[in-house]
Amino acid sequence: MDMAKRIMALSISKLYSLRTQRGGLSLHRSLLLSMTMRAARDIYHAAQLLRDAEEEQVVPCAPDAAIEEPMEISKDSPQTLTPKEVAMKPQEPKETLEDDKENRCASERHSRKRCCKTAVEPDFLPLKKAKMDTDEEKQHLQGEVLRTNNGNSCRQAETLTAFPTNRAIVAC
Amino acid sequence: MAGAGGGGNDVQWCFSQVKGAIDDDVAEADIISTVEFNHSGELLATGDKGGRVVIFQQETENKSQPQCRSEYNVYSTFQSHEPEFDYLKSLEIEEKINKIRWLPQKNAAQFLLSTNDKTIKLWKISERDKRPEGYNLKEEDGRYRDAATITTLRVPVFRPMDLMVEASPRRVFVNGHTYHINSISVNSDNETYLSADDLRINLWHLEITDRSFNVVDIKPANMEELTEVITATEFHPHQCNTFVYSSSKGTIRLCDMRASALCDKHSKLFEEPEDPSNRSFFSEIISSISDVKFSHNGRYMMTRDYLSVKIWDLNMENRPVETYQVHEYLRSKLCSLYENDCIFDKFECCWNGNDSVVMTGSYNNFFRMLDRSQRRDVTLEASRESCKPRQVLKPRRVCAGGKRKKDEISVDSLDFNKKILHTAWHPQENIIAVATTNNLYIFQEKMN
Repeated sequence: MDMAKRIMALSISKLYSLRTQRGGLSLHRSLLLSMTMRAARDIYHAAQLLRDAEEEQVVPCAPDAAIEEPMEISKDSPQTLTPKEVAMKPQEPKETLEDDKENRCASERHSRKRCCKTAVEPDFLPLKKAKMDTDEEKQHLQGEVLRTNNGNSCRQAETLTAFPTNRAIVAC
Repeated sequence: MAGAGGGGNDVQWCFSQVKGAIDDDVAEADIISTVEFNHSGELLATGDKGGRVVIFQQETENKSQPQCRSEYNVYSTFQSHEPEFDYLKSLEIEEKINKIRWLPQKNAAQFLLSTNDKTIKLWKISERDKRPEGYNLKEEDGRYRDAATITTLRVPVFRPMDLMVEASPRRVFVNGHTYHINSISVNSDNETYLSADDLRINLWHLEITDRSFNVVDIKPANMEELTEVITATEFHPHQCNTFVYSSSKGTIRLCDMRASALCDKHSKLFEEPEDPSNRSFFSEIISSISDVKFSHNGRYMMTRDYLSVKIWDLNMENRPVETYQVHEYLRSKLCSLYENDCIFDKFECCWNGNDSVVMTGSYNNFFRMLDRSQRRDVTLEASRESCKPRQVLKPRRVCAGGKRKKDEISVDSLDFNKKILHTAWHPQENIIAVATTNNLYIFQEKMN
């Protein structure tokens, strides 16, 4: 699982650095990188789900009415785990995630550190569906990369949506 | 002269020449990006990242010294491509020469095609060893004479001069490709050629620059569904209607242009089922084919992927007839190679004149000779340390793990910055050109 995480992080940073490379975006390289990232992400997700499932089983199995506190906690834990679980399952409603992501974007690093669960979440994980990714990308890019390209910002964004990475993440 | 050379192992290779700067500090523009012998082997062309083409010519043989085969000396140097800027996409177009392909010689001049990511150019290389002298209206230095001083007429005559080799661009084939051109291939009809980018292959006529035919288009309607790209293409050496193209998924498709105008539907699909025991995160990347070459006799083709070389019989689609491991010891290092980007290196491969031996490059300036007839292989090194004239190259061995024997080099000591991506074999003789980062080594068969 660590390996998968490492490969995901590597892939994403390589994909980003491709954009600034001389000669333009290499379609072949982008494709290979996104495929590798997707494979690593699938393994990582699967491992996470497995771990969560194990944790979930362990907690309710905590014995005895005698120990009421743990039972209380066990009732709560599914709830506290929910944002994380929601984050992991792409099928889950997007609203919570969108709010989280938007808040995060608004105040960058700070909100992540404040919210304990999202601090646990690796921030490189592409958690959302394509639409949200694209929106975030546009925001991100318009904020950073495209400062020097005022007139071209729209085109740049278009090029990126045509770029398969974001969509490919969900397409599997 | 010896024929097209026997096996790679009864042949002993020795150093002949090295071209390029000795400096360890390599200028990026000097990085060699393609190497190609012409059809007779008399000329050897290299292209580099700076957009330059350098052509070497083999000296006419010295009969009095049979043990010393003739050398290659610089014949012509010219700037083929310049960096360009695509204003619409805000993208720079690199001047790096991706491929050079020679045309068969028809007259005194030589022609070659050179390409960068977007533009293909046809260059004419011609010799001039005479010049006209005795003009009526001009002085010898070109200044015009005062008309009043001209009292007689004379016929200009050609007088010998020092040999001058001129390169001139005869055709420029632009705007044919949206994506980056990865290969070109001249047809055996000597009239047309193919150019391939990531998603499309175009057929051009050498005389016509303003239009080309698209023969293969694998661009999906929805780019999100893209799963593979074209990595190389080549025309069959004899059948002018047949060509192949390789993909990033490790497949090769053979197409027949007589079947239809658009060859999206292949005639043959060459694919080997994946070995499930070798599956890893990087399986996709290492199965991507970086080069495809037909054998000279046209019966086989060779493909190179990251770890192996495969020989395919054109009549058998379900698996290659031969597979050679180039550097299997790297299989356990794929993650590190992914980190340092080496896993994306595109190695080329080539056949010898009689198709009995194939050659490909590796890391640490090693290159591999794979003898098909004797089923043996050898690893050699292109290094400045083995540069004495006619010094025989010693076979090198890599120790994959465990105890390292004497003279072996361990995998972890390999220098991954020293890679041999481009190699070429003389079409008739046992002379090979091996490109390290910025040097070109020429090795020859040891003559007794």
